[in-house]
Amino acid sequence: MSAIPASNTPSASFGGTAESKFALRRIVNSTMFWACALGTLLVVLILVLVAGYLFILGLPGIKWSLFTQDPTGDALNPGGLRHAIVGTAQLLLMASVVGVPMGMLSGVYLSEYSREPGFWGAWLAKPVRFIADVLAGVPSIVIGILGYELLVVPLGNYNGYAGALALAFIIIPIVARTSEEMLRLVPDSYRAGSLALGATKSQTITRVVLPAATGSIVTGVMLALARVAGETAPLLFTALGNRTLTMDPMQPFPSLTVQVYQYVTGPYQAQKQVGWAGILVLIALLLVLNLTIRLVTARAIRSRT
Amino acid sequence: MKTPSHSSNSSHLEPDSEYASSPAEKREPRIVTRPAPPLAVDNRSHNRPMNSPSNSTSPAPATHADVAPAVVVPAHAGAAREEQPRLSVLDAIRRGEPTKGYTHPAMAREKPILNVADFKLWYGKSQALHGITMPIPEKKVTALIGPSGCGKSTLLRCFNRMNDLVDGVRVDGSMKLISPSATFDVYDRSVDVINLRRKIGMVFQKPNPFPMSIFENVVYPLRIAGERKKSVLREACEKALRSAALWDEAKDRLGESALGMSGGQQQRLCIARAVVAEPEVLLMDEPCSALDPIATLKIEELIHKMSSGGAEGGGRGYTVIIVTHNMHQAARVSDFTAFMYIGRLVEYGPTANIFQNPYLPETEQYVTGRFG
Repeated sequence: MSAIPASNTPSASFGGTAESKFALRRIVNSTMFWACALGTLLVVLILVLVAGYLFILGLPGIKWSLFTQDPTGDALNPGGLRHAIVGTAQLLLMASVVGVPMGMLSGVYLSEYSREPGFWGAWLAKPVRFIADVLAGVPSIVIGILGYELLVVPLGNYNGYAGALALAFIIIPIVARTSEEMLRLVPDSYRAGSLALGATKSQTITRVVLPAATGSIVTGVMLALARVAGETAPLLFTALGNRTLTMDPMQPFPSLTVQVYQYVTGPYQAQKQVGWAGILVLIALLLVLNLTIRLVTARAIRSRT
Repeated sequence: MKTPSHSSNSSHLEPDSEYASSPAEKREPRIVTRPAPPLAVDNRSHNRPMNSPSNSTSPAPATHADVAPAVVVPAHAGAAREEQPRLSVLDAIRRGEPTKGYTHPAMAREKPILNVADFKLWYGKSQALHGITMPIPEKKVTALIGPSGCGKSTLLRCFNRMNDLVDGVRVDGSMKLISPSATFDVYDRSVDVINLRRKIGMVFQKPNPFPMSIFENVVYPLRIAGERKKSVLREACEKALRSAALWDEAKDRLGESALGMSGGQQQRLCIARAVVAEPEVLLMDEPCSALDPIATLKIEELIHKMSSGGAEGGGRGYTVIIVTHNMHQAARVSDFTAFMYIGRLVEYGPTANIFQNPYLPETEQYVTGRFG
């Protein structure tokens, strides 16, 4: 147990009973360490199992044609997932264009304006924060049904806009709450410093507070995007899915998750293979997206300072 | 005011008018190192009335229409004080009785840039400042001293209305800024707080550079005022850094993050940032309390230079108001010193007088470190 710093209590002056007390203390101390280590090991093991299983199932299906072909309709030769990759990318783009600014704005409101007295400050912030928390916990299928009732039924058919908005609905509360938390971590001395120099509140927020929290807000946004990129249920009710490449969001819209769901639950081995590969592609896409956004924001911060 | 219970020992009170009529009466300069009399030795003091009913400190809110530093003498146990000083003013303050500070007549000879008259402040229901009346001389360094909680920082934060940011703050009285461009009350409804804060800069207790480059930190006040020209920004940055005695250390690393500087450098950066837009007054809230002695020395030298308007001060003198816990610092850097106690001004005058020949024994007790 060399990993644990030994307690260096001078025991000489305490005699035998104290010695046994120290022994107990040492045992409790090391038990704590090993319990935590064991828990961590288990988590890592499960992660490795899942990832390994995915790789074993998905890797054989990774081919160049996966990215260049649309489904052929032939069950034995199912083609690729180009339509679904492009579809998911478009859905994510539309959802984040709507959801990220709205979420960030309400995060700024909750963090920066909720301290001001009056209706538009402290009074309104409490219910807004509560609703955001509730929304973040709403099962995604409920949001799918909402999108169906609000955007599919009135328009007459399943469509990409409905899917994107359903995803945006999931993004907003997550981004709002994470941005709020991150903005609260910005020291008040920055705000006071900026205001004392004659900055307005909005200048203080846009020039000092938000930039100081950019890194962690981006992390929150990435988490939200990763979460919705893996959503299937709300899309089944709204975008439905499409086996051809489409750029028209008024049509039923393809997405990786729905396509994978259909292939993997279907009866054909070749389609299952494409489905497994599709999951790997989805994870890889998120990784690339994550890295890109991080690089871009890091560069933006560096160039500004 | 509660009617003081007139006990027999109130008879030894001297009428205030005697002092008021001859404020400049030369008393023997006290030697600062005189042994400390015990605090509140007179156990009768608790029922001794502070003021005779007719004196100038009567509770009818003194109308300080004349904001010229009037010589206001708090009631004292007169000559008895000389042998056996009781901290009667401080006792009175502790009991919440109305008192007025003693302002040295020398203050009347200075041209004020800020005039505070009967200024009061409440945080919610508790009153933090009680009828402060003091002129702040232009292009001089004024130090606010006093034990913790005496309201010196609160008063400082009133000058640029930073207290507006605190919930439930209410103020009363007048605080006039007498600047070359305009004279107005800081708390007037028509005052644009943003504009006011550009005229009255502030340096905080802990250095608070923004997480940006050194250059961007310094020019921040200009940027928010809409200045875009690179050449103007660069010139102003150099000038401000020079007046904060930071140019030589920072000129080669303007693009680096300000957070990589040492604490003392960061604080001088904050001073540079506060003066880049050439404010008329510079407020400093214990600017050295988070710094080591060498950095402190540099800042003190800087404060001195900035107020005197030497070459390092950019050729113009700044009015500096500094709050400090460190009495030696107040003695070293300031031209005038105000001693405050629980929200009241106790004594205000030229620093040399306050430290070497204070009018009130209470002040002497404090500046010699015997209480507080």
